[in-house]
Amino acid sequence: MLFNSYPFIFLFLPIALIGYFILGRFGNLAPVIWLALASLAFYSVSNWQFVLLLLASIAFNYVIGLLLIARRLSSSLRFAVLAIGVAGDLLVLGTFKYAGFLAANLNAVFSAGLAVNILLPVGISFYTFTQIAFLVDAYRGDVARYRLPHYALFVGYFPHLIAGPILHHKDMIPQFESADAKRPNPHLILCGLIIFAIGLFKKTCLADGIQPLVALAFGPDAPSFDQAWIGALAYSFQLYFDFSGYSDMAIGISLMFGVFLPLNFNSPYKATSIIDFWRRWHMTLSQFLRDYLYIPLGGNRCGRVLRYVNLMLTMALGGLWHGAAWTFVVWGVLHGVYLCVNHAWNNFGPRVAPRFERAAILAGFVLTFLSVVVAWVFFRADGMASAASILASMADPARIVFGRGEIADAALIAIYAGIAWFAPSTQTIMGYDHRNRTVGEALGTWRMRPALLYAGAAALAFGILGIQQHSEFIYFRF
Amino acid sequence: MSTAGKNLLRFLCASGLLLLTAAAFNFVVDPLQLFRPARLLPAMYSEDSRLQNAGLIRSQDFDTVFMGTSLAIHFRQSDIDRLLGVKSLKLAMTGSNSHQQTFVIAAALNRHAKRVIWQLDDWIFRDAPEIDQDAYLPADLYRRNAKGVAGYLFSGAMARESTWILARSIRPLEKTVARLASFVPVKFPIASTDDINTLRADFDVGSAYNAKQAIAAFANITDPVRRAFLAEGYDYDAMVRNFERDAVGLIAGHPDVRFDIYLAPYSILQWVAMRDASPATLKIVYDFSAYLGRRLTEYPNVRLCDFRAASDITHDLANYSDVIHHSPDIDLKILSRLAAGDYVVDRAAPTASLERLKEQVAAYRVEPLR
Repeated sequence: MLFNSYPFIFLFLPIALIGYFILGRFGNLAPVIWLALASLAFYSVSNWQFVLLLLASIAFNYVIGLLLIARRLSSSLRFAVLAIGVAGDLLVLGTFKYAGFLAANLNAVFSAGLAVNILLPVGISFYTFTQIAFLVDAYRGDVARYRLPHYALFVGYFPHLIAGPILHHKDMIPQFESADAKRPNPHLILCGLIIFAIGLFKKTCLADGIQPLVALAFGPDAPSFDQAWIGALAYSFQLYFDFSGYSDMAIGISLMFGVFLPLNFNSPYKATSIIDFWRRWHMTLSQFLRDYLYIPLGGNRCGRVLRYVNLMLTMALGGLWHGAAWTFVVWGVLHGVYLCVNHAWNNFGPRVAPRFERAAILAGFVLTFLSVVVAWVFFRADGMASAASILASMADPARIVFGRGEIADAALIAIYAGIAWFAPSTQTIMGYDHRNRTVGEALGTWRMRPALLYAGAAALAFGILGIQQHSEFIYFRF
Repeated sequence: MSTAGKNLLRFLCASGLLLLTAAAFNFVVDPLQLFRPARLLPAMYSEDSRLQNAGLIRSQDFDTVFMGTSLAIHFRQSDIDRLLGVKSLKLAMTGSNSHQQTFVIAAALNRHAKRVIWQLDDWIFRDAPEIDQDAYLPADLYRRNAKGVAGYLFSGAMARESTWILARSIRPLEKTVARLASFVPVKFPIASTDDINTLRADFDVGSAYNAKQAIAAFANITDPVRRAFLAEGYDYDAMVRNFERDAVGLIAGHPDVRFDIYLAPYSILQWVAMRDASPATLKIVYDFSAYLGRRLTEYPNVRLCDFRAASDITHDLANYSDVIHHSPDIDLKILSRLAAGDYVVDRAAPTASLERLKEQVAAYRVEPLR
């Protein structure tokens, strides 16, 4: 089921909310079970064939987690249990997500003639990573024993199940256990609705609105210089508004249930360096990769050279996590190179004189944005040849069209750029503080409160009016 | 009630009010003319025929339906009316399949049309999604049920089109809006039904339809790299099944309606391409054609015309933009011959024209252009 659909907005969400708060009157566990069942229903509407896989994954990891938490095993046995758990998760993920990719590569190298056609279960990358983190923390002794309904809800919680944010058990399960969240809080519901409205507007009005321009670069015809740039920029903004819109909607929905989700975006195109970009883009994935891959690999503790190697490895695997194709690997490696260059510049580059600081920040901003756009070409292209062809067009100003259509498209791109670069982030508008569990604190005293209220109402109305029949979120494919 | 509760109520009411305002605006302007023919504001039409047809069927006065694929898309209603003496409504849809065509014709027949002029070819009977799973045809809009009407009224895209139509109707803004419309994609830019999906008067027919284009397309589809596409979608059993369900089902269900069905004049190159690059596909098409001819001629309310062996058209490659799409001149020839009753398939020998086509295809040799 899509967040940007009438059945979700007018049927599923109200029923889930009403049931949750009614059951909240009768105890603390019933609403958790209700929400877990609602999440399963949400998932099964469009992915019924993978419900069993999701349930099996939850059961498998819960049992492995119990063995690790119980601490009755010897340390070598505990490590073996962790290895079995993580290997099991990776095996399932690898089978469903990467078997086809592996077969295609074997066919290319050895003409093996392997044919693998496996459907990708939606959300598998997200719920697998969520649970691997749980197992590693359980092994480290950082996990208290959780009840099965709370754990099942943590994994299957519908606002995040399909495309994140990637949740952490320590952040979520105490919230599910809290009795406060089970009572309807009009303030949280209102703030959640406004955040949801902003996300819906981003998705249906902004991301879906610019989607036709993407075909200028990524369509069947070879683009000219201007068309390639318009298409690449359009995709950069489409992806941002699509995914950050989804994340806003997830945060808003969860807030209505009294549960604070972590932030996933913080105006990433305002970044002034690649390091800064990765602190602002898909933040929960960056944190996961840092905590469960980069640091275990050695992080920056083994010298500068190994630090760069670890960075490259982390980013390449991060790229592969997005999809089973070489284009994603190249995208990850490219960002790995960017990060290495950025760190090297910070370490060995010249200090900027105070009077050039603004110019340096501006240069960093432009360079970062252009580097990110170039990398998105690999992320979006159907294959390496196609990506190379688009990049060649972007580097060939001799072939230029710039007709009426391109002028209108460029104007639209400028509007999107203005929003991405100058508009405040959703969390800034709403005063959303995930760590302190506060939101909209300023609304009570802020003079602009009615304006925000009605602007939010307009965003919701326009967001609903913009709903199209078939408009999946881009990150559902990952 | 707490302040937060009051604010929540205000928020929901404001959203609801905006949604209702947009819906009311769409209802009043009614860009598709789904509820009433345009009176308050000038009527505007879209080239998106799958969407536009839902409104045309409701708003136009007609006694004859004209249906087909891209091969019938450029016909002018005024030509159909003049040459066949009818009041027609063109509902042809580019790339359409038999499920879509039958569904749209059935919706039009519910408005008491008495005659259907139907361009058929084998390709439309390939397997396709059921009409309610078809992402490209808004079936509920044709049915005008609650879901379809709600989707239409509560649509931001439609509200934007309503605004364009309203702005265009304000005389001082007319020129500015027309100028803006050449920069911004507008869904309803056409002022007359006769101009929907037709070629503009200044269109250079000669450069779009000529033998060079046709031969180039032939070389393209017979290229070993691409020739597999010739066979795509051709499955005899599926085609027969879809033909029986869609075409025969519709004809048998409307014995009081006259069906003038014609098999479109592909260029001879299309057949030769299949002969040379995909003979198995050609056999499927021949077998299916024979079946189609026999079945259609069983129905007294059907008159079947087969233009596929009309060599004065199909062998003159200057008439084509590729191997199948013919020029507007041929549109007029088809209408004249339909009016004259030429190329009507004899009920006693329903495959005779197919046999003539087979002979032509077997004998034809592609000449390189000089």
